[in-house]
Amino acid sequence: MNTKQQNDMEKVNLSTQIAVIGGGYAGLKAASRISANGYNVILAPQHNDTDNNLAVLGVSAAETDRIKALENDVANDQNVEILPLSTLLEASGMPGNFTLRFESAGAVLEKSAGAVVVATDTAVNPLHQIYGLTPATNVVSVSEFENLLASETTRKAIEDGKKTVAFLVGFAHEGSPLLMKRVLNCVSDIVGMDGCSAYVYVNNIKVADDGLERLYTRCRNSGAIYFKLQKAPTVIQENEKLTVSFYDPVIRNDIELNPDIIVCEEVLVADNVNLGLAEALHIDVGPMGFLQKENVHRLPVASNREGIFVVGSAREVQDLSTSWSDVDNMMLRVRALIGDGEKSVAAKAVVDREKCTICLTCYRCCPHGAISWDDKAVISSLACQGCGICASECPMDAIQLADFTDAEMTDRIKAAASESAANAPKIVAFCCQNSAYEAGLAAKAFGHQLPAGLQLIQVPCAGKIDIHYILNALVEGADGVLVLACHTGNCKSEFGNTYAKWRINDAYQKLEQVGIEKDRLEFKTLASNMASDFARIVIDMEKRIGQKKG
Amino acid sequence: MDSKNVMIIGGGIAGMTAARELAEAGLSVDLVEKSGFLGGHAIQYTCKATSECLQCGACSVEKMLKDVVGNDKITVHLSTEIETIENSNGYSIKIKKPAAFIDAKKCTNCGICYEKFKEDDLILQGYSKNNTPLYAVNREKIEENKIALKEVCPEGAISVSDTASFEDLTAAAVVVATGFTPFNPERKGTYGYNRFSNVISGLDLERIKRRNGFLARPSDGAAAQKIAFIQCVGSRDENLGNLWCSQICCPYALRTAESLKHKNPDLDVTIFYMDIQNTGKSFPAFYETCKDDIRFIRSIPVDIFPVENDNLNMRLFDETEGTPVMESFDLVVLSIGIMPNSENKPISELLGLALDQDGFFQNSDALNKTSTSNDGIFIAGTAQGPKNIAASMAHAGQAASGVLKYLGVTE
Ligand SMILES: Cc1cc2nc3c(=O)[nH]c(=O)nc-3n(C[C@H](O)[C@H](O)[C@H](O)COP(=O)(O)OP(=O)(O)OC[C@H]3O[C@@H](n4cnc5c(N)ncnc54)[C@H](O)[C@@H]3O)c2cc1C
Ligand code: SF4
Ligand code: SF4
Ligand code: SF4
Ligand code: SF4
Repeated sequence: MNTKQQNDMEKVNLSTQIAVIGGGYAGLKAASRISANGYNVILAPQHNDTDNNLAVLGVSAAETDRIKALENDVANDQNVEILPLSTLLEASGMPGNFTLRFESAGAVLEKSAGAVVVATDTAVNPLHQIYGLTPATNVVSVSEFENLLASETTRKAIEDGKKTVAFLVGFAHEGSPLLMKRVLNCVSDIVGMDGCSAYVYVNNIKVADDGLERLYTRCRNSGAIYFKLQKAPTVIQENEKLTVSFYDPVIRNDIELNPDIIVCEEVLVADNVNLGLAEALHIDVGPMGFLQKENVHRLPVASNREGIFVVGSAREVQDLSTSWSDVDNMMLRVRALIGDGEKSVAAKAVVDREKCTICLTCYRCCPHGAISWDDKAVISSLACQGCGICASECPMDAIQLADFTDAEMTDRIKAAASESAANAPKIVAFCCQNSAYEAGLAAKAFGHQLPAGLQLIQVPCAGKIDIHYILNALVEGADGVLVLACHTGNCKSEFGNTYAKWRINDAYQKLEQVGIEKDRLEFKTLASNMASDFARIVIDMEKRIGQKKG
Repeated sequence: MDSKNVMIIGGGIAGMTAARELAEAGLSVDLVEKSGFLGGHAIQYTCKATSECLQCGACSVEKMLKDVVGNDKITVHLSTEIETIENSNGYSIKIKKPAAFIDAKKCTNCGICYEKFKEDDLILQGYSKNNTPLYAVNREKIEENKIALKEVCPEGAISVSDTASFEDLTAAAVVVATGFTPFNPERKGTYGYNRFSNVISGLDLERIKRRNGFLARPSDGAAAQKIAFIQCVGSRDENLGNLWCSQICCPYALRTAESLKHKNPDLDVTIFYMDIQNTGKSFPAFYETCKDDIRFIRSIPVDIFPVENDNLNMRLFDETEGTPVMESFDLVVLSIGIMPNSENKPISELLGLALDQDGFFQNSDALNKTSTSNDGIFIAGTAQGPKNIAASMAHAGQAASGVLKYLGVTE
């Protein structure tokens, strides 16, 4: 492989237009900040207006004014083109040069974008049916109750009626601090009304946010009664009459109450447009339909694809200030990627166009969506993270990784496996540079006892460990081979560790065929901070193999 | 004066993140860290994975530290403190280095000094291999040991002078990332912390796990078999006036319990709690797993009683009987939380910033928690209030974004 060619810097022109998908408070803030930084913005709201979402997330009146002002600014911003109520049909291209096809107001529009910011909203689902309740004037959701308190007349009716209000939270769903804050704000209002009382039936009170424990305590000191239960109370709704009861194990008795109003919890969920967006944008879907996998390498605002960012409730239920914090973090990333629209990048992986038979294996296995094709596979240097999964999977060996070409790797393996270690067993450990390699160096630096015959071979990702590498190491004289990857869910390239594990299983079969004991090869997962575990794993292998050597 | 130089006070995950972001945006950064090591509290933790990663975030700290020391736009000042800071057309800052410290240029990380003085606590060992020197002089013990220190290093890397040395720096903006102080469990006297050897804090637990790879009992080094966590130690405590949830102690207790059980399925874990807080997006599913593996008891024990074999007795409430019963544990972990840095008051006075009623740095705009009443100063991380690692990083990114805007690098 021609290394000169690999290290060539490629000049790319990037579109300085950025697409923002979602017109809620995160989307508006994103559009406004991106535009202020001199980029054009395509703003594609997914729903009709922001009002609904503002209410459900318990935004205060003052905060609402700030959002309205922002909305106004964005509407009048020459650099922001708004595609009202749009749907993303398709996205193609690579970071710096995406092409997005939207449907908006009955027309199909094609827009270019250097980067895409997904800023969808949170939706709210009521949960009364889980308690066997039917919505009624006296059985309402948290959102509905917030609306009752917000309107002069209904608020007055609650106050004048000296109502007793029961809140049910945390039995149908674990809930979140954001929901808890909204409930506690309602409770606070009720206990502040002369003659009204608030009873809160709650499982785990989610107070893990600024100010919530204080709000919770203040409500209690103002007369709110909390019943902390592990199981939902029994709730009976007979026409107008409401009964809530539970068994108290401490006083060994039933406690029964007839509230005037029941406020039932709801759950904040991912926007229902998320799955469609993920499909169009080729990005991973995380738990509960949010658009970011629980992988610490993605934090705070990255998706698995370079150039596509997820902010606010698109990635996790988030309140206003945290959503805006995401927008600030996104701005750092967009600036770093797009700059002033011109960039030099070094290719991390290169396709040999002579060898490529366009089978598209690489396209399918690249976890970062970095591969497209003309008449051969093409790797985007901006998108590629250099994991090497494609290089190991390509049936034609048509892809080489800068710094980790097959030729270089073969030399390193040979050198490592034939390194003399007197009588000690020779152990070659293939180590992912993100985890095990760091742990191994730390074990050395801090003086953990390590086998004399241990050699580390750094790989960019466990997904770059070919089955040939493993077999070569054994052929070249290693007594044992370790493949050390990141823990499941911690692979920077998401599936590199999974590929490695599959290849190990294949290697076991091959070893069996040639009569090499299985326990000379081992797969383990580690994190960079596990120096002592690293030491234990390699020492264990040394012991095992040493016994064989006798 | 170079107008694009930024001073960051505190080298925990928040300070390091702000430094990296600013350096990547092209600014020069001075990162001032009081202790001998970067990484703050979170660099001391170890992985909490089971058969899969549980997203504790500890490895992100290791990664960030590596990025920071490898970035030549960042100058790291270890064992350094801010002496004075003046604001006139930018900030003029005097920094202070103690009378003895290890010179990174000469130290070969041989560890001779540590071997000699570790028992006396005079030389401390760091946590990350990327933090060089790997060792630091404990500043609290310098005075009486200057002579011994001078002699021990074969490379002459330990610089000993009669007095502290000073340096003048300038900065166009400042980020305060001075972090938190863990709750001192001795304050809850009835738990016998520091009196009963097998009563440890959450922080001790991290260090023990990191050093040994398993949970060794301090009394005899044996692997603990039956353990209890007591949640909310020092947090959510009206008697102490601590009216906040530390946000991190439920997550670390659940994750640690699961990871310990993964390595030792026979381990018996009980968690005493008031309310369990979420760990992340997949919390509902994770919590169900935890409920299968862990016994949860919703009450906070008042006392711990030492019994034979350095075991510990606690009273729990039997719901079926409706009576209290005594139960014995091998080891008890006090899930301590996040308190304001005990030096917040002097630091806030030095910088002319306000603290909130709990003693954390007060943000001036409710919708931007990095903002202060001084336009050129930003807060990052737990200096502002309890946060986990991920939230500290996001907060620090926002602070960096604020600095760039303030300096006119971005809009
Ligand atoms: C027992 C325990 C376990 C935890 N486990 C987890 C976990 O598993 N996952 C998770 O996400 N979070 C966890 N946390 C929370 C985590 O520790 C914090 O989120 C993180 O450390 C906050 O980083 P920071 O930079 O804000 O503060 P710190 O880590 O406190 O760092 C602040 C730094 O500033 C320095 N400094 C202070 N004052 C000065 C000064 N005047 N001048 C110069 N430097 C100064 C300090 O020496 C320190 O290095 C845990 C916390 C505790 C107590
Ligand atoms: S896997 Fe190899 S042969 Fe197949 S398309 Fe990709 S580069 Fe070409
Ligand atoms: S090296 Fe990894 S990121 Fe790059 S193209 Fe190949 S599979 Fe994709
Ligand atoms: S459990 Fe924590 S330290 Fe371990 S891999 Fe996951 S995030 Fe990293
Ligand atoms: S996170 Fe859990 S243990 Fe910590 S203060 Fe909050 S409720 Fe208590």
